[in-house]
Amino acid sequence: MFSLLQSEWFKLRKSNVIYILFAGPLIGLLIGLLGNDNVFPDEVNQWGGSLLMMNLTYALLFLPLITGVLAATVCRYEHQAGGWKQLLSLPVTRGKVFITKYLLLIFLVLAIQLLYLGSVFSVGVIHGYTDSFPMDIVWKSILGGWIATFPLVALQLWMSLLFKSFAAPFAVNVIFTLPTILAINSEKFGAYYPWAQPVLMMNVGEDSNNVFFIPWEQLITVVGGSFLLFFIGGYIYFRQKAV
Amino acid sequence: MIGKLIRTDFMKIRRKGIWFLAILGPFGVVALQMVNYGLRKDWFIQQDTFSWFYYVRNVSAFTPFALILGIVILASFMASIENETNAWKQLIALPVSKWSVYLSKYTTIGLLLVFATCLLTVFSLGFGVLLGLGGEIPYLDLIRYCFYPLFAALPILGLQLWIALVFQNQGFPITIGVFGVIMSYMAYFLPDWLIWKWPSLDNQWDEPLLNVCMGLVVGLGIYLFGMLDFIRRDVK
Amino acid sequence: MEYIVETKKITKRFGKEYAVEALDLKIPKGEIYGFLGPNGAGKTTTIRMLLGLMRPTLGTIQIFGKDLKRERIEVLKKVGSLVENPSYYPHLTAYENLEALRKIYGISKKRIDEVLEIVSLLDVANKKVKGFSLGMKQRLGIAASLLNSPELLILDEPTNGLDPSGIIEIRNLIKSLSVEEGMTILISSHLLSEIDQIANNVGIISKGKLIFQDSIDVMRKQSQNKISFKVDDCEKVWRFLISSGIKADFSEDTISMLEQNDENVATVVRLLVENGFSIYRVEEEKRSLEDTFLQMTAEERVI
Repeated sequence: MFSLLQSEWFKLRKSNVIYILFAGPLIGLLIGLLGNDNVFPDEVNQWGGSLLMMNLTYALLFLPLITGVLAATVCRYEHQAGGWKQLLSLPVTRGKVFITKYLLLIFLVLAIQLLYLGSVFSVGVIHGYTDSFPMDIVWKSILGGWIATFPLVALQLWMSLLFKSFAAPFAVNVIFTLPTILAINSEKFGAYYPWAQPVLMMNVGEDSNNVFFIPWEQLITVVGGSFLLFFIGGYIYFRQKAV
Repeated sequence: MIGKLIRTDFMKIRRKGIWFLAILGPFGVVALQMVNYGLRKDWFIQQDTFSWFYYVRNVSAFTPFALILGIVILASFMASIENETNAWKQLIALPVSKWSVYLSKYTTIGLLLVFATCLLTVFSLGFGVLLGLGGEIPYLDLIRYCFYPLFAALPILGLQLWIALVFQNQGFPITIGVFGVIMSYMAYFLPDWLIWKWPSLDNQWDEPLLNVCMGLVVGLGIYLFGMLDFIRRDVK
Repeated sequence: MEYIVETKKITKRFGKEYAVEALDLKIPKGEIYGFLGPNGAGKTTTIRMLLGLMRPTLGTIQIFGKDLKRERIEVLKKVGSLVENPSYYPHLTAYENLEALRKIYGISKKRIDEVLEIVSLLDVANKKVKGFSLGMKQRLGIAASLLNSPELLILDEPTNGLDPSGIIEIRNLIKSLSVEEGMTILISSHLLSEIDQIANNVGIISKGKLIFQDSIDVMRKQSQNKISFKVDDCEKVWRFLISSGIKADFSEDTISMLEQNDENVATVVRLLVENGFSIYRVEEEKRSLEDTFLQMTAEERVI
């Protein structure tokens, strides 16, 4: 399993995935610097205000969309020139290949999240914030956003295995991501919409006592449920895929 | 010649679900308003904004995203159809000029977008009538707010088509596309000279027609640049 | 002789590497020209330049007496090609694939059935190419190259992926196209046996340079068997033979002659013995066409 992961990383390292990883923090910087941060009253922590604004666009659109690009990237080599038949005729099970690709993807998303954290910090430094850095809130937000992408990554991996082109899984991704813009405006619907979870989990909310910014029940049912659905669906599809 | 090429390009997009996307896009934009008005109809009435004027502007708030995402997806699709078995070498070895191959791809996407925009006009009109919005139907306003973003987005079409055709790895153009979408989401904060702001029809002079003109002029410039680069390159 | 394709010093450089260097290709009208060379010698790069897919770094290409750079479209109207792996649109049927090309040529729809018939794909015409075997895809590629009834047909390794009966079929097809339609055909291969069976002209490329170009008969002549003599004093023997009016070559410790009939060999032996030369060995050196080819490409020597 570990050797598979190493081999996957090796293949990926030679591709342009690094540029894609850096797109995250770049977007963060852009939003943070372009956006207007004077809309918040003085008593709000400067970091909190900045984070609130940056997270909204970042988690609403960028994070869900980029999972699709990453998923298509990790399947690119195999779709080209019959790579699947070569990979799957090695002494590996298909299940392991699937899980490895999935693990690799969520690590990549984690890397994006951490780089984004770096850009949050940079924005604050550039703006010259003097308030204390709200470590706990920031971590909650970064890790929460990461966990919320688990089901999205699973679906995108499934779609990327299904379609050869980049455009098709991306189209699926777009179809599900765009309604989030409305979903988050509705408390009833937003809580149940898997693509709205990254923004809900990254959104710096009222100081709740939960570990994350959404209730545990919601995390387990919506994020956990959709994760299981997409992961198992993709897993079964891949097991039966004719290569 | 160009007509023949466009016909073959339309043939090549068969069974790829592209027409479905061209219908889904405008439908999605109007569907968002169905949800919006479904949930908040009373609020609109209360605010005294339950009218065609505000409705048309509400619809057009989402048009730029759908448009840009559509451009990104279509451009990447057109490229991957030829990239998949490297059909470029077959296509360019036909008695066709390279500029006409490029123009044909551009026009094919353009026509699909015009089709989607017509649908957007029809769908918005239909839902507006269904809602029973007050006042006379402002046909001209409606058409304007559906088609202006399309013209203003031509520079983005030129850019996306160029990078999709030039880069083998479609991850790159799509990542740029994601950038573009996010920029357009923040259009309000962007400086007027950024092309991703233009489809929002917003500018400091509050003159949507300016975005249309810039879209046409700069769009032509980017188109020519991309085409010349495409001609210059060897076919692998 | 009338040349359909004539290149002047075409060169293609990628960065610092020369993929093709100063190639003077001459393809006579109506002939089957075998373009031969090991993998990576520059065959496909040359063919890409002939089709205008790549621009030569230097040099000019004339096809049908027209400059390719200036009249590319006019030229390509009368050229059919299949480069490397066949290109196709997997989600379209065989018929639709050809239809997409036919539209551009603007020829009659009847021609699609004709070419499908020629490569015997008529019964799978309405199946998606996705499910085709490699051989079927290759046939489809050949069908596509014949669609515009070209005057010049360029086939890059056309028998790749075909089974033996398929190879024979294609070979016969190529011959009949040449004989019946008077088509000029450029066919590339890394296998001499392949070219030997159909081509009348050969060009051999090695490391980007054209090291041989002539009719295959000339190449066969060079591959003739040789008789070699090992003798005590080569130079002396050679002088003696020349002065006796017998053609021979000498190198270090052997004297060699192009193949002679038995009678002639006997005469030479007798002459040498009678004049007091010692003959250590008389050997027949067999050289097949394949040997000649291998030797040419290995030594990269201009013959």
